[in-house]
Parts: sequence; C-alpha cells; structure tokens
Amino acid sequence: MEIFLASFGFGLITAAVLAIAAVGFTLQFGVTDVLNLAFGAVMIAAAYVAYWLNQAGLDIWLGLLVASVAGAALSWLLNTVVYAPFQRRHASPIALVIVALGMTLIIEFGLQAIVGGTSVSYTMASGRTVQAGGLQLTVVQLVIMALAIAVMVCIHVLLTYTRLGKAMRATAANRPLARTCGIRSGRVINLTWLISGALCGCAGTVFAMNAGSFNATSADLFLILILAAVFLGGPGRAYGAMLGAIVIGLATEISAAYVTPSYKDVIAFLLLFVMLAWRPTGVLGAS
Amino acid sequence: MSDAVVFYTVTLIVYGVVDVIACLGLSQQFGVAGVTNFGFIIFQAAGAYTASVLSLPSDHANGGFQLYVGGLNLPFPLPWIGAAIVGGLVALPFVFLVGKRLRGDYVAIGLLVAAVMANLIVTNYRSFLNGAAGLSLVPSPLQSRLNPQSLRYQWGYAVVGILLALLTFWFCRRLTESPYGRALRAMRENDLVADSLGKNLRVLRAQMLVVGGAIAGLSGGVLVGFINLWAPSAWGYAETIVLFAAVIIGGAGNHLGAVLGAILVPLGFEEATRFVPAFGPPGLIPAFQWVAIGLLVVIFLRLRPQGILPERRRRLATPAAVSGLTTGDSLASLPLGRRPGPSHGRDRHDDVLEVRGVSREFGGVRAVDDVSFVLKEGHLTGLIGPNGAGKSTTLALLAGTVPVTGGRIVYRGQDITTMPAYQRARHGIIRTFQLASEFKRLTVLENLLSAVPDQPGESFMGAVAGRRHWRAAEKVHLADAAALLERFGLSAQSNAYAGELSGGQRRLVEIMRALMARPDLLLLDEPMAGVHPELAALIGEELLRLCSRGMTIVMVEHELSYMDRFCDPVIVMSEGRVLAEGAMTDLRRRPEVVEAYLVG
Repeated sequence: MEIFLASFGFGLITAAVLAIAAVGFTLQFGVTDVLNLAFGAVMIAAAYVAYWLNQAGLDIWLGLLVASVAGAALSWLLNTVVYAPFQRRHASPIALVIVALGMTLIIEFGLQAIVGGTSVSYTMASGRTVQAGGLQLTVVQLVIMALAIAVMVCIHVLLTYTRLGKAMRATAANRPLARTCGIRSGRVINLTWLISGALCGCAGTVFAMNAGSFNATSADLFLILILAAVFLGGPGRAYGAMLGAIVIGLATEISAAYVTPSYKDVIAFLLLFVMLAWRPTGVLGAS
Repeated sequence: MSDAVVFYTVTLIVYGVVDVIACLGLSQQFGVAGVTNFGFIIFQAAGAYTASVLSLPSDHANGGFQLYVGGLNLPFPLPWIGAAIVGGLVALPFVFLVGKRLRGDYVAIGLLVAAVMANLIVTNYRSFLNGAAGLSLVPSPLQSRLNPQSLRYQWGYAVVGILLALLTFWFCRRLTESPYGRALRAMRENDLVADSLGKNLRVLRAQMLVVGGAIAGLSGGVLVGFINLWAPSAWGYAETIVLFAAVIIGGAGNHLGAVLGAILVPLGFEEATRFVPAFGPPGLIPAFQWVAIGLLVVIFLRLRPQGILPERRRRLATPAAVSGLTTGDSLASLPLGRRPGPSHGRDRHDDVLEVRGVSREFGGVRAVDDVSFVLKEGHLTGLIGPNGAGKSTTLALLAGTVPVTGGRIVYRGQDITTMPAYQRARHGIIRTFQLASEFKRLTVLENLLSAVPDQPGESFMGAVAGRRHWRAAEKVHLADAAALLERFGLSAQSNAYAGELSGGQRRLVEIMRALMARPDLLLLDEPMAGVHPELAALIGEELLRLCSRGMTIVMVEHELSYMDRFCDPVIVMSEGRVLAEGAMTDLRRRPEVVEAYLVG
C-alpha cells in the first residue's frame, strides 16, 4: 500500500507537468494544424532561460514566469519563420512533420552547443515535506500541482467564455468556414502560438524542477508521454489532453513501482500505439 | 597505397555502401511510395543484431562476458540473409498502422515513437542483446578461412559491398519502373483516389514496409560484419533523420538521387568534419553536425523540395498504329468498354445497383437521409439538386469512399454495403471526384495507365518478374490510352505531368482514367465542370455510346442542358433526400422540383 501511495503521488506530479504540456501541444496542433515535434525542444530551451536567470540570482518562480514568456516568443517565432511559410505553400502534413523534426535537431543541439552536454539543476528550496492522506509531497510538488490546476481552469475559461477561445475552437473545427464567418484566423493562429508557447515554456520549467537535473536532450522521452496523452484524449481536444495526462502520468509511475523503472515509458508507448491503431481520434473522439 | 590508406579507403567504401543500400530502401519507401517511416533505423538495427547473433557463437563461449539470444555460429552468408529476412519481418507489427484510415503524419509519429522505445527496451533489457554495452567481437564473414586483416580481404569486402549496393539499386529500379511502381507513385500522389481505382493501400504499404525493412536489414548486416560491434548508441532515432536528409537532398523518388544523397550526407558529412580541427569542449562538433543536418533538411524542403536530382519524367512512346484514328471515329471502335460485372450475362435491363434506405450522418447532420433508387443497366442516370443536397456524398457512398451509417447497397445481386472501396473498384464500380484528383506527378499517359484493371505487372511479384512479364499488356493499354487521348484532343499533352494541365484538361484526364478502368458502373461527379461546351457535348455523346454497349453511368451535374440532352432518368435530391425521379421533361413540370432546384 505504501508503494502504491508513493507511486500514486509521483503519478499525480507527472500528470500535473504532463497536463500543462499536453494541453499546450493539443491546442497548438488543433488550431494551427502543425504537429510540432519541436515542442519538447522548446520546453527545454525555456527551462534554460529560467536556469540562466536563476543563476543570476532570480527566484526560480519568477524565472518560471519569464520562461513562459520565452516559450511563447520562441514558439511564435518558430511558426512565423519556419512553419507558416511552409503552410502558405501548401506543404503536405508529412513535409511539416519532417521540418518539425529538423527544427528539433536545430534547437536541441544548438542549445547543447551553447550549454554543453552536462546536466544542470535549479537553485531552489524544495520546502518541507507535507503528509496528505498517506501521500508524501514536498511543498514544491504541491505548488506544481496547484499551478497545473490553475492553468487548466484558465484554459477552460478561455475556451468556454472568451471570444478568442470560441474563435480558436471554431478555427480548429473548420478553418475556411471560420474565416468566412468573420474570424480573423491569422490573428487567432498567432495568439494560439503565443498561448500554447507559454504553456510549453511553463511546462519545460516545471518539468526541469520536477526532474531535479536536466540537459539539452532531456525532453526527448517526455515528448513521447506528451504525444501519448494527446492521442489518448484525441488530438486537438484540450479536455481530452487533461484526461490523457492523468491516465499517462499515473500509469507510468505506478507501473514503475511495480514492474521496473527502466520500462515506465513503455506503457505510455503501448497506450499510444493502441490509440493509433484502434481510435486515432481519442477515447472521447468520434469513431 | 600504404596499408593505412587502404584500410581508410575500404572503411569509407563500406560505410558508403551501407548508407547507399539504406538510402535506397528509404527512397523506395518514402520517395516512391510516400510511406513515411520515421522508425527506419529500427530495421537496420534489427538486421545488424540478427547478423551478429547468427554469426556469434553461444554466449557462454567468451567466458560469458556478454549476454544475447541466439549465438548460432552460422557460416557466411547465412547471417546476412537472416539480417534481410528479420529486417522484413520486423515490419509486420507496424502494418496495422499503415491502413488507409490513419493520416500519414500520425503513422510517422507512431514509427518515430517505436524507434525511441525499441532503443530504450534493448538498452535496458540486458539478457536480450547485451543492453547498453551492445555486442562486440561479432565475427567477420569467413574469418575462419580468410584473414580479415589482410589487404585482399579488405578489398574483397568493399567489392562485395559494392555488388550488393548495385543489386539493391537494380531491384528498386525494377520495382519502381514497372506498373507496380506506377501504382505506388499513384498512392503517394493521392491515396484516396488510388483506393477508388482498386489499389489495396494496406497491402501496397505493407509490402513497402517489408521491402524497405529487408533492405535496411541487409545494410545493417553488411555494416556489422565489417565493424564487428553493434550497440544502441549506433541507432538513435535521430539517425533516421540523417537518412531522410540524404534522400530529400539527393532527390526523393529518384534512386540515383538516393545514392548521391547517401554519398553527400551521411558519408561526406561525417568525413568532412573529421578534418575540421578540434575546437571547443568535447561534443561541440557533433552538436554542430546535428544542427547542420536539421538546417539542411529544412532549407532543402523550403528551397528545393525535389532535391538535387529530381524524380525524372517517364516519357512513354505511344504506338504509331492508332494515330490513324481521327476525331470523327467513335470510341466504339476502340477495345474499350466495360468489364463484365460479377453476375453478368443476364438481360440487358437488369438492375445493376439497388440503393435501399441509405443514410450518412456527419456529426449529427444527415447529409444523406434514407435514399433509395435503382440503377438500370445501360442507362445514363442524372443526379441533380441544389448545393448541399447530398449528391457527392451519395456517389461516395456508392463507391465506398465513405461508409454508410444506415441502409443497404446491392450491386448485381450482391450486398456490397460494407465492401471497401478498392474492392468495389475491382468489381467494376469506378468513380471520379468533384475536386481535381489527377495524380500530379504522373504524366497524363501514366494517369491513364494507372487505372487499368488487368495489368500483370501491377502486383509485386509481377514487377519482380520483370518487363517481359508485363510488356505485352502494357503495349495494348498504351494503344487504348493513345486512342482515348486522340479522341479527346489531348495527344500533345500525353507526356506532360497531369499537375501542369489546365482545369478543364485535368477533368478530361480524370474521365479518361475512369474509362481506362473499363467500369461496369461509372460514377461521375461533375465531369463537365470547367470543360469547353463543345468538348462537354463530345463527352456526353461518348458516354451515351458506352451506355448503349451496356455500361451503366451516374452523373452529377449542375448544367441542366446536359441533363436534358443526355440523362434519362434523372434523380432530384434536396436536403439529403430523393425528391423526385423521372425523365427531365416530366421533372420540369413538377412544382416541388422547380421550387427546390430549378428556380432557387
């Protein structure tokens, strides 16, 4: 039981980090139609922005804020300079995925050329340990979970109650139709890159906090967890991604406790494969 | 040459040969067939591991310092053959990913993730293939009888490698330059349309995965026999991107381009940077290499997506014999016509197709709502209705492009409601599309030939059997195609890419392509849109002539004068339902029809 509770706690934290990233990824893909595999690379780049500020003496939570802005800026730039020109020339989805992989190499190893191959950690107090219903969590971990919940509420409000959110959903459902209905899809797409980019930067920093130490290529495997969560919930579906994040987070950590930690990502991979084969639109999606 | 230079040269040649073989496999898969396998490196790794454990002795032999399965101690060339076979077999679990339902980019993601996971599992599961440390002391081929360190052995290895690369090139070329290769390229250009012409996408893609996998496996076997070790660090997922970079830069779809790319990117790149004086901390130069690979891919896709050596245009000579035909000659004088339907041979006015209460919902909207009608053999039936009436969806339901959500479709006595589109096409139900659907990077002639139903060279084995096996059939079909082109005035464009034609010409290509399939039931979606009225009239007359020879045709068209002239009966649809059916002259007198369509 203790093992279960401990792994359940780890699972919740992984789910929290994953939820922020997966919602960002799925919004990005749903609205802009770019399957941005460089998402993980941008996450780590933003985490390094927080690291540099942290090294300069800034509190890491302020660093998190700046990293989110950096993630937004970098994602917007990535679209404006790279993806958008391809889309304007009607490049195939496959060509865009290949471009995204190329950008992954450029960002990841460009970063590695700057920061070197060794891992780094933030300077931060992990806070005291809190006992909650048999779960042992540090204050930092609790803050990460609270942050994830706050982000999910914000996304819910954005999508349900604001004009922008409705425009994003409309653009995701049918871009030409949204445009003829007077939605300025170019503006919606730019804002989507900024918002999802901010989520990406935020996710990168909390991922780095949670992992303890990180380097330029740390997010490679985490990207697979993100993809699994996104496809479990159905690509482009924000609420599906939240659900997917919880399932994947818990499944990987609990299986790590009972099987072996080396294979914990394999279960995410298997779930992703099952989803692709059985229901590519996600458990909540139409068949 | 000094010994050191020889060893270096031979190493370069062997690495080059391995890259060339792998890139040819990828070129066949991705460049020709459009199957994006981001897990390509798995197959090379599978081949290398297979060759290793087949040639290594049992894992107790060397004091048990490394663990692995197998250890069969097999003599050359069995390890290499095994490498190719296992490389092909490894593709089988991925076949379920490449059916037509799944988007190409999702397939790519699935395979990419598989590559990462395979590496993770092999790294962590030590007793399988010795984990992260990998396998070492892998025997060189024939090392018990020859001395692998001798110069003659080294040169011999290089020559055998080159011969294998040539063999791979010859094999890929044989596949690609056959009717089978044409079907693969058609699938690459537009898989939905290829499906509607009777190509089994799942089988074609599965064959490509297996063939590409076997070729990749062979390359792995050749490599491991030379370097004598193999570990997970040699086949990270990013290595696949290097091979993609090579194929894209060399020219996807052109096997010579793949060879060039293999020499320029994986080989040239690694070697060029070897001579850069070391600078910065360790790992800096490899990091720059990866950045450069990424930049090369992005820049080439942006500025020269066709690569250095673009896919070349296949010019086909049309037989001179048929050019005696003039535009006055009718199609009836051509061997074209319908193929016999499944239970053909009954009376002329048999019911060809019976549609019973068919419906189709899209997210709660009933695009087609409880539609029933019967198509009589030898009739040109018109299908009209305002925009959004469900005409195109109805055609898609009949052809199987879109599955029904309710009702039944019976074709010549056989229930085909759940039959997939490619099988319906093989039974003689051929459709055209409302939007342009020509295979853009196939020539006009190739577009026409791609639809032919009975080409022995269109199967994998037929292509392997070689030109002799399919040349005669090809000649007949070329004559048919040439006659059709002449009839519709497109002879001058025979060898132009279909993507270069005007809108009206593309329409014609599509109709001719459908006729080349010798349909029993032809479903035409706005065949005359954008076509010059004189030519449209010619098309109409030819269609009537084909009907008089037993073909059954349904035509969606907005221009009512064509309905008046050619179609009887005419079905009127509105809001997903059949509003009326009958002769056009009668329909014009019916108020509900006039209200729904003719006026509004």
